[in-house]
Amino acid sequence: MAPPIYSALIISLGLGTTMTFASTHWYLAWMGIEINTLAIIPLMSQNHTPRATEATTKYFFAQATASATLLFASISNAFLTGEWDILQTPNTLTSSLITLALAMKIGLAPLHSWMPEVMQGLSLLIGLILSTWQKLAPLYLIYQIQPTNSNIFITLGLLSIIVGGWGGFNQVQLRKILAYSSIAHLGWMILILSFSPPLALLTILIYLMMTFSLFSSFMLTRTTHINSLATTWAKIPILTISTPLVLLSLGGLPPLTGFMPKWLILQELTKQDLAPIATLAALSSLFSLYFYLRLSYAMTLTMPPNNPAGTLPWRLNTRHNTTMMSLTTTSTICLLPVTPAIMALLPF
Amino acid sequence: MLKILLPSILLLPSTWLISPKYLWTTTLSYSLLIASASLMWLAAPAETGWSFLNCLMASDPVSTPLLVLTCWLLPLMILASQNHLMLEPTNRQRTFISLLISLQIFLILAFSATELIMFYIMFEATLIPTLIIITRWGNQMERLNAGTYFLFYTLAGSLPLLIALLLLQNSTGTLSFFTIPYLPLTCSDPWAHKIWWTACLLAFLVKMPLYGAHLWLPKAHVEPPIAGSMVLAAVLLKLGGYGMMRILIILDPISKELSYPFIILALWGVIMTGSICLRQTDLKALIAYSSVSHMGLVAAAILIQTPWAFTGALILMIAHGLTSSALFCLANTNYERTHSRTMLLARGLQTLLPLTAVWWFIATLANLALPPLPNLMGELMIITSLFKWSMWTLILTGLGTLITAGYSLYMFLTTQHGPIPNHLISINPPHSREHLLLTLHLLPLLLLILKPELLWGWSA
Repeated sequence: MAPPIYSALIISLGLGTTMTFASTHWYLAWMGIEINTLAIIPLMSQNHTPRATEATTKYFFAQATASATLLFASISNAFLTGEWDILQTPNTLTSSLITLALAMKIGLAPLHSWMPEVMQGLSLLIGLILSTWQKLAPLYLIYQIQPTNSNIFITLGLLSIIVGGWGGFNQVQLRKILAYSSIAHLGWMILILSFSPPLALLTILIYLMMTFSLFSSFMLTRTTHINSLATTWAKIPILTISTPLVLLSLGGLPPLTGFMPKWLILQELTKQDLAPIATLAALSSLFSLYFYLRLSYAMTLTMPPNNPAGTLPWRLNTRHNTTMMSLTTTSTICLLPVTPAIMALLPF
Repeated sequence: MLKILLPSILLLPSTWLISPKYLWTTTLSYSLLIASASLMWLAAPAETGWSFLNCLMASDPVSTPLLVLTCWLLPLMILASQNHLMLEPTNRQRTFISLLISLQIFLILAFSATELIMFYIMFEATLIPTLIIITRWGNQMERLNAGTYFLFYTLAGSLPLLIALLLLQNSTGTLSFFTIPYLPLTCSDPWAHKIWWTACLLAFLVKMPLYGAHLWLPKAHVEPPIAGSMVLAAVLLKLGGYGMMRILIILDPISKELSYPFIILALWGVIMTGSICLRQTDLKALIAYSSVSHMGLVAAAILIQTPWAFTGALILMIAHGLTSSALFCLANTNYERTHSRTMLLARGLQTLLPLTAVWWFIATLANLALPPLPNLMGELMIITSLFKWSMWTLILTGLGTLITAGYSLYMFLTTQHGPIPNHLISINPPHSREHLLLTLHLLPLLLLILKPELLWGWSA
């Protein structure tokens, strides 16, 4: 893609999310989300394969539906209450509708069907943008609605954790696995959003860090299938140590960083007298841990001198810039002991 | 406390910076030095209180023997792994030793933790190095299944424990071992109280393991290399016992009725797993099931919560740790020579390896709880306290002792006695390293006959 067009699209992506962040009027927020969607469409289909075009079309349909619902709900809210301000969305019907529309935007269950198929058709870099940057604006809007009734959030959250775990069981394509992992983590965020929004902020920040680290490892070795993970030991041996730790951190195992959001969320849920929901969420996250473990088996734990699981590939270019990846990987593994400092920084 | 923890942490950079020529000797001697320094914990003032305190860590008479066992085990694991890792590239050897050292660090932090969440995090943290040891360095294809079973059984039990601990913190405001025994515990709903009680104990029962939840253990003990089996049998099972001892103090008074099914299950497990041992063909599986059998006795004893029972449980945990680890080392000597775990393939060894036969003899006698070894002390105190609790348990425990003697002798007679098989053409003589390894296991066990007060826990 020509550099001017590419940079225009990236700037539009940034512009869209920033507009949504800066807005207090529903129209402006909706416009920001639309700019975001329109900017990423050409980026998704930039290599013009049929699969990419299919993914782009599916993404467009899902997002267009959600945006139309969002517009309809905000106009209904203005009709019923006379308020265009985002912070003043007291009507339960319209705020539930807005929540569902935004849930479809980010891919929460039961509105998640588009997510794995769209992610599968994209290149890893655009998939990374889809899982991280595109979630920010809708989550910010959900955060601002200041919901009073938490039932819809708990339902969306629990369903997403279960679907995100169970759906990834049979997958061998890495991008689909990453899509289901995204659904599961978003479920944890939504679960806690109505009780403690700063914890949701913490969860999304840590999730961004862990996902960036994982996507970067896959981009470095250009792997998109479990079978090609087995050749990592021949390409970049250090990744065979760091990536399983990142995967186990995504699964939420102590003493890695990924345990921090789960621990704090379970603590908040038990404080709100929702211990059975907390137990259900915790046990459902074991599903996702199963396929993370399977990825680490494929990558590291079946290395030679045991029987290798794949044949050696061609090694092409070797110049990698790994600054951001090394920062995020280190944070993904070592940040649990600084939990008190992180909790002090967030506005609790 | 930091005198031992910081050197253990600094063993990690040492492992990576030493030249390959001196890697094994240096790590062995440094870890042995740390182990001898850890004996100072045994010289604590003989009270029932905490000693060697800092803000986050302390040791008391229950955790001290387990801490010393943990520190003692690291040089033994390094000694045992040296042979099978010699052919691997140096970086892999360094990674393996780093995994063992990180296990030791997490275990020291777990046993000396003074706060329940710290204990929980370290309890879970031991899973990752053990998983990597089992699945990366195991030798058969079944090791992947073993790692999965190990991880998921333990996690499925311990996630409810996390929530139970968070609930406890909500009602009491603290989770520190110093204050929790004295805080009143009120729970309004009887059903919720029962479920909370089960959630607190389930993780430790799965880890011990209790008979119904023991399926991970034969897989996880059989598949790893010798260091993995040693650490699992000697220390990681005792984490479950230690956690149960700590948390049962808080769980009264409903423990009196609610623990009945678990005590019965544990005792029944003693007999069932003992009977399975009588029909085993795989040597490591036999030792693994014998671990389940002994830990069933320990679980039953901890659940009845009398002073003699706690003392017996603690003695049996330490003695079983040393014995089971010694038996795994002996099984490993067979494995390194025949590359098979089948008992029948390496029999008649008394004639071929007479010195090793001495170790087999002592380890077998320890396993079947011969007086005056500490194994008998522990088992006798447990059986006595169970008899006082209910006289019908004597049937189960007596039968269990009989079956234990049966399968221990079966193991000894099959591997040592009888004619030498025709297919054993040349067997390497025992290395001095192997003799040293078994001496370091069995000598502490014999010395503990002379001063068992070190292991008595709170009754000291």
